[in-house]
Amino acid sequence: MSSAIIVRNLAKRYRVKKRISLLRSHTEVIEALRGIDFTVNYGEVVGLLGPNGAGKTTTIKILATLLLPDSGEAYVAGYNVIKNAGEVRKRIGIMLTVEKGFYGKLTGRENLEYFAALYGLDRVRSKDRIDYLIRLLELDKLGADYKLLEEFSLGMKARLSLARALLSDAPVLLLDEPTLGLDPPSARRIRELVRDLAHKEGKAVLYTTHNMFEAELVCDRILLINKGMIAAWGTPQELKMRIPKLRVIAINIKGEGRVDRILESLGVKYEIKSEENSINSIRIHAERPEDVFNDVVRKFIASGFEIVSARIEEPTLEDVFIYFSEGSL
Amino acid sequence: MNIPNLIEAEFKLVYGEIFRRRSALVSMIIYPYLFAGFTLFFGYTIGSPGLFMERVGVEPVVFMITASNMVMSIINTVDDVLWRPLHDAYVGTLPYIIASPINKLELFIIIPVPRLLLLLITGFTSIVPIYVLHYGLNGVVLALTVISLTTFGALTMSTLGIIIAGLVHTVGESWRILNVVRPLLMILVGAYFPRALMPFAAYITSMFIPSSHVVESIHRILLGDIGDVYLLLALAATLALVYAPGGSRSLLYWEKKKVSEGVKTS
Ligand SMILES: Nc1ncnc2c1ncn2[C@@H]1O[C@H](COP(=O)(O)OP(=O)(O)OP(=O)(O)O)[C@@H](O)[C@H]1O
Ligand SMILES: [Mg+2]
Repeated sequence: MSSAIIVRNLAKRYRVKKRISLLRSHTEVIEALRGIDFTVNYGEVVGLLGPNGAGKTTTIKILATLLLPDSGEAYVAGYNVIKNAGEVRKRIGIMLTVEKGFYGKLTGRENLEYFAALYGLDRVRSKDRIDYLIRLLELDKLGADYKLLEEFSLGMKARLSLARALLSDAPVLLLDEPTLGLDPPSARRIRELVRDLAHKEGKAVLYTTHNMFEAELVCDRILLINKGMIAAWGTPQELKMRIPKLRVIAINIKGEGRVDRILESLGVKYEIKSEENSINSIRIHAERPEDVFNDVVRKFIASGFEIVSARIEEPTLEDVFIYFSEGSL
Repeated sequence: MNIPNLIEAEFKLVYGEIFRRRSALVSMIIYPYLFAGFTLFFGYTIGSPGLFMERVGVEPVVFMITASNMVMSIINTVDDVLWRPLHDAYVGTLPYIIASPINKLELFIIIPVPRLLLLLITGFTSIVPIYVLHYGLNGVVLALTVISLTTFGALTMSTLGIIIAGLVHTVGESWRILNVVRPLLMILVGAYFPRALMPFAAYITSMFIPSSHVVESIHRILLGDIGDVYLLLALAATLALVYAPGGSRSLLYWEKKKVSEGVKTS
């Protein structure tokens, strides 16, 4: 099957007119995207990560037919986003800024009904779908059937916004920071849903977030974008392997004795921090920590120390993020 | 496409906004009276009712209440299509509308319908009683005719309104232009100022506004001269149809312009 989203050498410059005086003005050019390439397949969630101003929203907007790129190509569900915008629009569900984008004097359900009509759902399908989505996102418990939108909390709006993106059961979902500002249960609910949509229903999801923990949980693949360019991409695991930060054994031991001597006998690089009540906190750097882990633990026990905790620390996605977006943070 | 569905959705949206905002509802009901009242007041300060009868040939109170209703309905159509994109941009629904597969011309033709229906009802509370006072029971028939024609006139305005909306909104700070366009249309439609009395340039311009012909036909009916009324109505309908492709193009142009600048999402 062909990819759900294909992006080739996509570039976008914003031109902002700055007025200096009544007669003079100059145009400032912002390079939002400098030629990015990627694909998203059906059945996977791809995370678009990057610092503020990296070009994530710009990418989403181009794919959602809301912004024209300057050069390059983009295809969604097999259609060119510029030449065939109409066909693309039949096949996408979008979620943009969460706080805005609804009618304040309508209830949550009425808002969904309005957009269902806009997306061309007939009356019966519209009702069934809205009933289903309201239950799915637990909006019924939050009062979406009778509360006016202006009385909605941010989390309710986010859920409603996701419900709208799912109204037409589109095969491609473009979600820009869907969990921004949500409480943990709401964010978790949305995360679980997004994963299920891709893995169980075979949808293609492009997802932006600033939450690394979340990105790691939700995304099958990650695109790290920085200053309008793709800085790195791969599965979260692949990305972590690519940064030079060595993995670390973090071990806390309790007891009296020459800790440094034991460590030297093992021939490893280490740092020791002595803490209160005779606990030493040790960090051992090694290319392959699992090879020495057992030795280290055994040696300390044999020397009469008590192991308080011991684990291998992996670089986090946050380390990856910071490594690849260096210079712009 | 499912036009009935869309009409229903628009009705719910507009009525939600009107009936859940008490001030909007109240102003909707008292507006025609205020409007007519003010114009009558100013009219009397300028000249006598007798002079008005001599010039225009219609009882001033009847003329003014009719004119208020016509202007409100006609301007409503134009207003709704002109302001809606601004409102949608403001509340942030615009990107979802643009990125939806809806036929935008259909949507914009439907947009003014719900409010127009409400205005139709206010016609019953404003025109009917005044006409009955002046013409007796015959006034009911006359009033119904005038109300239906007014509605028709308002509907013929949508395509031209859409052309204007599409063009105006491609410019930055378009509401400034709207503030000029609206009163101009209000005058040129000829409800308060019969077309026959307009300067030549204004007269010619008004010929291109579909509802101005409906307004003139209503004036003729009030004067008891119904000879060319059908012709005028046909002319209005034809003009409205002639503007339809232009409306579609204008909306397409507007959408293109928005997308090339980037539809604001925050
Ligand atoms: N409408 C616009 N006009 C001018 N410049 C813009 C516009 N929209 C975005 N930009 C600029 O383009 C660059 C990319 O912005 P974009 O919104 O795509 O970033 P982002 O990755 O979504 O950032 P964030 O994490 O803050 O949401 C930024 O430098 C931004 O200032
Ligand atoms: Mg963004």
